[in-house]
Amino acid sequence: METAGIRAVAAGTARLMFYTLLAIVLMAMDYRGAYIQRIQSAAGSLVEPVLLLVDWPISGFRSLALTLKTQAELSDRLDRLQREQMEMAAGLAVVDDLAQENARLRGLLETTQRLPYSMLVAELMAVDMDPFAHRILVKRGSRDGIEIGMPVIDALGVVGQVEQVYRYSARVILLSDPDHALPVQVLPSGERTIAYGSGALDRLRLTDLPMNTELETGQRVVTSGLGGQFPAGLSVGRVLEITRLPGQPFATANIQPSAAMTRNRHVLILTEAEAVLILDDTAPEEAGETALPEASLEQADSDQASGSSPTRPAQENNPDGNRPR
Amino acid sequence: MIREGYRGLVASLILAYLLTLMPLPAWLDPARPYWVALVMMYWHLETDRLRHLGHAFALGLLLDVLTGSLLGQHALGLVIINFLIARFRSRIRFFPAWQQALVIGALLFNDRIVQLWVIGLLDRGWPSWSWWLPPLIGMLLWPWLFLVLDMMRQHQRKQ
Repeated sequence: METAGIRAVAAGTARLMFYTLLAIVLMAMDYRGAYIQRIQSAAGSLVEPVLLLVDWPISGFRSLALTLKTQAELSDRLDRLQREQMEMAAGLAVVDDLAQENARLRGLLETTQRLPYSMLVAELMAVDMDPFAHRILVKRGSRDGIEIGMPVIDALGVVGQVEQVYRYSARVILLSDPDHALPVQVLPSGERTIAYGSGALDRLRLTDLPMNTELETGQRVVTSGLGGQFPAGLSVGRVLEITRLPGQPFATANIQPSAAMTRNRHVLILTEAEAVLILDDTAPEEAGETALPEASLEQADSDQASGSSPTRPAQENNPDGNRPR
Repeated sequence: MIREGYRGLVASLILAYLLTLMPLPAWLDPARPYWVALVMMYWHLETDRLRHLGHAFALGLLLDVLTGSLLGQHALGLVIINFLIARFRSRIRFFPAWQQALVIGALLFNDRIVQLWVIGLLDRGWPSWSWWLPPLIGMLLWPWLFLVLDMMRQHQRKQ
C-alpha cells in the first residue's frame, strides 16, 4: 500500500514534468515565431466567435447609449466636430499645395512619385487582452481585405501592424511590444535607427545609437520607410531622454510614442502602403544627407517603400505645421 | 451519473472565459480575478472533474489563444495549480471556508510568481504593484464563488 502511494505520487510528478516541458517548448516556439504561426492562426479562427460574442453586447450597449444621448449633447458635439473639421480643412489646403509642389519637383528630378495609399477605419473590439501581450483586436478582417503586416495608425501616429487576420477581425501588435522593431528616422538630423518596443505602453527604445549621436530631447521621430513595411514620414513619437553610459558601445534613448495605443476607439489600417516602384535614382530626402553612411545604400529601399498619401506625409514632414491636437 | 452536472461545468467555464475577456474600465482592469483558475479549482476540489493535468493544460491553451498571451503561458500556470491541488485535495476539502480561501490565495499567488518568471524571461518589463492584486481579489471572492457554484450544482442535482 505504501509503495502504491509513492508510485502514484511519482506518476503525478512525471505528468507535471511532461506538461511543464510541453508548455515551455510551446512558449519557446511561439516566442521564436517559427512553427507555431499556422497553428495559432487556425486556433484564432476557431475562437473568433467567442471574441465576437464578448464584443457584441458591449458594442450594442455603446450604440444604445449613443442613441439615448440628449439632443443638446449631440448638437454640441456636432458643433465641435464641425469646428475641428474646418480647422483641419484649412490646414489641409496648405498641405495640398505642398504636395502638388512636391510632385512637380519629383517630376523634375525624375524620381518616383509618392503613391497615395488608402486607409480603412477599424473599430477596436471591446475585448480585453492580456495587458502584457501588447495586442489589440480590431473589427476588420480578411473579408475587408486586411493582410498580415499592414501598418496601423491613429490620428496622432503609428500604433503598430497587423499580426494576424481572421475573417471578421484582426489582431494588431503594438509598437510597444518587446518583439516589435520599427525602422525610424529622427528629425531634423535625419539619423536612422530602429525603435524597439520596451514592454511599457508609453515607451519605445532606441538601443543602437552611436555615442556621438546628434539626438536631443524633444526631437520628433518618424518612420524611415526602410524595410518596406511602413511608409516613410509617419509620426512615431518624441525623444524623451538620451543616456550615454561610459564603457558601453552604444548610446540609448527613450521615445514617447505619439499614438494613443490602447486608448483609441478607432484606428486606421493602411491597406496599400507597400507600393513597390522600380526606381533608377536615389532621391535625397528632406534630411537624408546627414544620415549614417551605410544608410545611403538603403536609400533606394526607402523610396520604394514610401507609398504615401498626398496629404499626410507632407503634413508630417512640415516641422512648422501646426497640427491640431 | 457521468452527465450529471456536466452542463453546469461547461456553463461555468464559458462564463469564466467571458468574464476574462469582458472589457473593464482601466482602473478596474488590474483587479480582474483569475476566473478560469478559480472555476477550475472549484470543480477539481468539489467534484472529481478537471482533475487531470491535461484538462488544465487545455484550458490554459484556450485562454492563451483568447487573450493573445504567449502560447503555453497560462497553460503552465494552470497545470501547476492543478498539480498542487491534486496533491493537497484531501486536506483542503475539509478546511473551513476562510482557511480554504487562504490556500486558494496562496495558489493564485504562486501562479503569479510563475507568470512573472515567464514575463521576466521575455524581457517584458517589471509589472506594477497591481500585479499582485488579482490573487487577493480571488481569495476574497472564493467563498462566494464556492457558494454560488455549490448552489448551482445542488439545483441541478434536484432536477
